[in-house]
Parts: sequence; C-alpha cells; structure tokens
Amino acid sequence: MIVKYKLSLFFLVILSVELFISSQIFAQNTEPTSSKEVPIKKLTLSKAAMCEEVKEHTPKNRTVVYSMNLGRVICYTSFDPVPEKTFIYHNWFHRDKLSTKIKLVLHPPRWSTYSRIQLRETDKGPWRVEVTDKQGNILRVLRFSVVD
Amino acid sequence: MNDLFFFFGAVRWQDLIDVLINSYIIFRLYVLFRGTNVVRVLIGIAFLWFLQRLAGYLGLIITSWAIQGVTAFAALIIIVVFRNEIRSVLQVKNLKTILWGIPRKGIETPVEIIVDSVYELARKRIGALIVLPGREDLGESIHSGIRWQGLLSREMIMSIFWQDGPVHDGAAIIEGDSIREVGAILPLSHRKDLPSHYGTRHRAAAGLAESTDALVIVVSEERGNVVVAKGSRMSAIRRREELVQMLEKHIGVHAKQGGYMRKEKLVLGAAALVSILFISGIWFSFTRGLETLITLEIPVEYMNRDPAMEILNTSANAVHLHLSGPGALIKSIRPEQAKVKLDLSKGVIGRNTLTITPENITLPPGIFLKKVEPLAVDVTLDILVKKELPIQVDWVGKLPEHLILTDARLTPEKIQVIGGNRVLGNISTIYTEKVSLDYIEKPGTITLKLALEPASLKIAPGSKDRITVEYVVKKRYP
Repeated sequence: MIVKYKLSLFFLVILSVELFISSQIFAQNTEPTSSKEVPIKKLTLSKAAMCEEVKEHTPKNRTVVYSMNLGRVICYTSFDPVPEKTFIYHNWFHRDKLSTKIKLVLHPPRWSTYSRIQLRETDKGPWRVEVTDKQGNILRVLRFSVVD
Repeated sequence: MNDLFFFFGAVRWQDLIDVLINSYIIFRLYVLFRGTNVVRVLIGIAFLWFLQRLAGYLGLIITSWAIQGVTAFAALIIIVVFRNEIRSVLQVKNLKTILWGIPRKGIETPVEIIVDSVYELARKRIGALIVLPGREDLGESIHSGIRWQGLLSREMIMSIFWQDGPVHDGAAIIEGDSIREVGAILPLSHRKDLPSHYGTRHRAAAGLAESTDALVIVVSEERGNVVVAKGSRMSAIRRREELVQMLEKHIGVHAKQGGYMRKEKLVLGAAALVSILFISGIWFSFTRGLETLITLEIPVEYMNRDPAMEILNTSANAVHLHLSGPGALIKSIRPEQAKVKLDLSKGVIGRNTLTITPENITLPPGIFLKKVEPLAVDVTLDILVKKELPIQVDWVGKLPEHLILTDARLTPEKIQVIGGNRVLGNISTIYTEKVSLDYIEKPGTITLKLALEPASLKIAPGSKDRITVEYVVKKRYP
C-alpha cells in the first residue's frame, strides 16, 4: 500500500516538472509573434512651414520674412501618421518672449492644421514658433522675421 | 572771533607737523647756503612766487603765467648755476652738519699775521695778491695754482711774494691758518671804471671779487698802498685797524666775541621765524576757504571678484562724491585722484547690496568727504557657463513687393557662447546684426556679425564670430 502511494507521488512530481517546462517553451514562442503583429504607431510631423496662406490644406508662399502690410503670419504643420486623437501646441515667441500658445487638435489617421497670428506694429523683429506635442516635446522650430 | 576759533579748531596735528618739517627744511637751506648767492636767488624765487600769487589774486592772468614759468625754470637755474656750492655742501659736510649743525669756521685765520705781512709788503714795495675765500667754491674761477699747504706766517708770506721768488706773480690763497695755493691765476675784470693806475694785479683782484664772494687783498708794487676787493667794491685801506676789521668781518672772527654771538643767534632765530612764517603762509594760502565744495562723479571700481563670477548688472556705474577742502586743493583736484573701490570677495550669485563707506573711498590729502550719492550699489553676480545656441538672422527694412524670401540657411547654424548662468538661462537664440532687405533683388550670400546681447556674453573660444547666410529669393505668385 505504501509502495503504491510512493509510486503515485513520484509520477505526480514528474508530471508537474514537465508541465512547468512546457509552459516556459510556449511563452518564448508567443511573445515575439505578438509584438510583430501589433506595430506601435508614433505621432510624426511630416511637414512644417511658415507661409502667407493655406489653400486646400496646402501652404502657399512659404517665407521667412513677413511684411507688416500682410497683416498675418501662418504656421502650417502636417502629421502622418496620427495614431490616436491628440493635440499639439504652436508656441509663438517674439525674440525670446512667449507671445502666444495655440492648442491644435489632431485626428487619426493623418491631419494637417495651422495657427495664425495677427500682426501689430510692435511685432517687428525676429520670431520663432516651437511645435510641441502634448507632453511639451519640441518637434520642430520655425524661424521668421516681421519687417516693414 | 568765532571764525578764528573755527579756523584753528580745524587745524589737524598733521598740519602742524607739515608746517614744522617744511619750515625746518627752509631754515636748514638758509643755514647751509647763507652768505652765498644761492640764498639770494632762493629769496628771489620766493618773491617771484609771492608776486605770482598776488597776480593770480588780482586776476592778472598773463603776468601770473609768466611768473609761474620763470619760477619753474628758476629751480633748474639754481641747480645748474650753483652746482659747485650745492656740491660743496653735500660732499664736504657730513650728515650731522647738513641736518642740524651750525657751520662755523673750524680753524681761525690769524688776521694779525696777514695784516702785519700786508703792511710789511707795502712798506717794502713788494707787490702781492692774497685771496681769502668766502663760502663759495673758487675752483671754477682760479687756475694754475700750485698746491702749497704751508702754515701761515709773516715770513712765509714775505718769501712767497719776494721779487725773485718763482711764484711771486700769482695770488696766494689762504684758508684758515694755512696757505692752500700760490701762483694762482685769477680772472681779470673788464670794468672800465677802475683807476688808470691800477695794474693787472688790481684787475685780477677785481675780477675774482666780482665773480665770487672772496675777499682779495692787493699790495701795489709801484705805490706801496693796500687795496681790498670785495664784491664790486675796490677800497684803498690806509689804516691797519680798518683792514683788521674788514678781514674779521669777512672770515667771521667776531664769533669769538659775545656781542657777535648774540647777533648770530638773533639772525638764526629770525631766520627760523621767517621760515615758519613763510611755510605757515603757504599752508594758510592752501587752507583758505576750508568750506569750498565740489561734486565729482567717480566710476566705481570692483575688486577681489571671484574669477568664476561675472558682474551682470550694477545699479550705478559711478557715484557722486561731495567733497570739501581748501580752495586751492579743490581747484586743483582731478577726478582720477579720487577712487571708489568696492570689495566683491564676499559677493554671492544674484543681487548684492554694497554700502559705500569712507573706507571704500580714497581721496587726496586735505580733501574731506561730505556726502556720497548713492549710499549703496546693487551688484548682480553670476557664474559663467557655456551654452550652444541657434543663430537667427535679424531682418529689417522692406523687401520689394514682387519678391518673397523663401529660405535662409546659416553656416554655422549654432554657436557656443559664454555668459552668466542666469542670463543664458533666459536666452534661446543668438541674433545676427540687423540685415537690411531694401537692396535684395536676387538670391545671394552674406557674411554677418553676431549681436551679442547683453554685452557680457562672449563667443566661446573655437567658435566663429562670423556667420554666412545663403538666402533664396523668388518672385511672388498671386
């Protein structure tokens, strides 16, 4: 009776060890497979430009110098891909002083957007626009000047 | 009366020492050079100085300037013309004599022997020329003398001028109780007013007496009379006592007599008093108008700054010092004579308020500080760091309407600058100098300098200070 009990216990231990080893082998095979099947899409700035106007989602008259006569400045950005609905910022600096911070919403799968400021006499001088994601990471810096 | 009390109350112990030291210097100059022409010239210079002050006071500008110029040259003239007298004082006399001794003749000249000899020579019609030097050095005037150094005696003088003697034609120089030189050649006088019977011996005596303070005795060979030359005077001496008196006066034998001693003390006392009055007068002329005020703008100097730190900003680069002092000193003060120095050894990063105390201010002697504006200076310090920053062109002007500036590429795009940590923390871009768009018609390349702002920023070693900009211009399409 005792011999029969010991034999059963031995097979039970062997079975447990085999089950553990086989489960480890299965995990190693499935993990890389799953990562290949679901690629991580990252928000990417595909195009950025300072322009005088935007027509049919396209920037027209790209420039680095704006006359006061024009009255406005446009910063155009295009993102492809846009993995999920998110937002970005256009931070406008006159010299090194933040003038305005504009929040723009992006929609998947790709999105073009722009921000615009109206010019005043005191706006003459060098400017820059920092394009950042929602975390504040700078994606691009665009520079221009406002002149007579 | 109150003004008088105020005036003497304002006298500092330094002023008293100042007056006493300079009075003593003047007094010593008189003692050392009295009897010589140096003192007369010094008195002349002092008189000129007084005249110059008077002319200045009366507003005679050109007279004042002219006298000032002459007085300035007079110092040079003294050194050149009286170099022998100055040399004899500085070389012959020891330090004790120069500093506090009253020079007296150490060895007395035996006047009686000289007088006896002179009249013996005259009686025998033997020509003679005897020189008794005064205080001036005769080295420049007398030539070809033969060194003698014999003890003075009647026999010695008789033998020197004996007609068959080899040195009887020249002059004998007597110093103290000895004959220093014989056969000396004296300079001849060119005077036209001398009596016709005066021969070469008389002209030689007159020549030396005119140019020095020596006394010269002439014994005429032809007439047997005695003539004494002193200064520009030629006196025939008939009585023995008269010659004794003249010689004693010349060589100072009166010093033995009590009356003369008293007179000597009186003269020295008077000289000391005049010296004190003279220097006090100068001091008073400087201190006149003690409450004269002036305001100077003096730049602040910062010392002991930690080399790792930079002065970013100061609330004042200069301070106004309100000063008072004697009118003459205030008029002559120059801004560079006053200094304001602030110690930055305990300065910390950020704003430091430094109070300006009298210890921070250096002023010329005799000038007093009344007020400082401002009383404190704020100094902002920062540590120096290096930072790489992008460069942007600062366009100005107006581009023609039909053109559009589409791109501007910079080489290099970034530059390393050194500046204060707090300053650089607020700077994200370095701009170029301003570039005019007015004359741009087509694409091109320009080289630009950087406009570092604030001025404390510096381009890091190894970075270029010139930027090349390649710009693209296109026609605008409607």
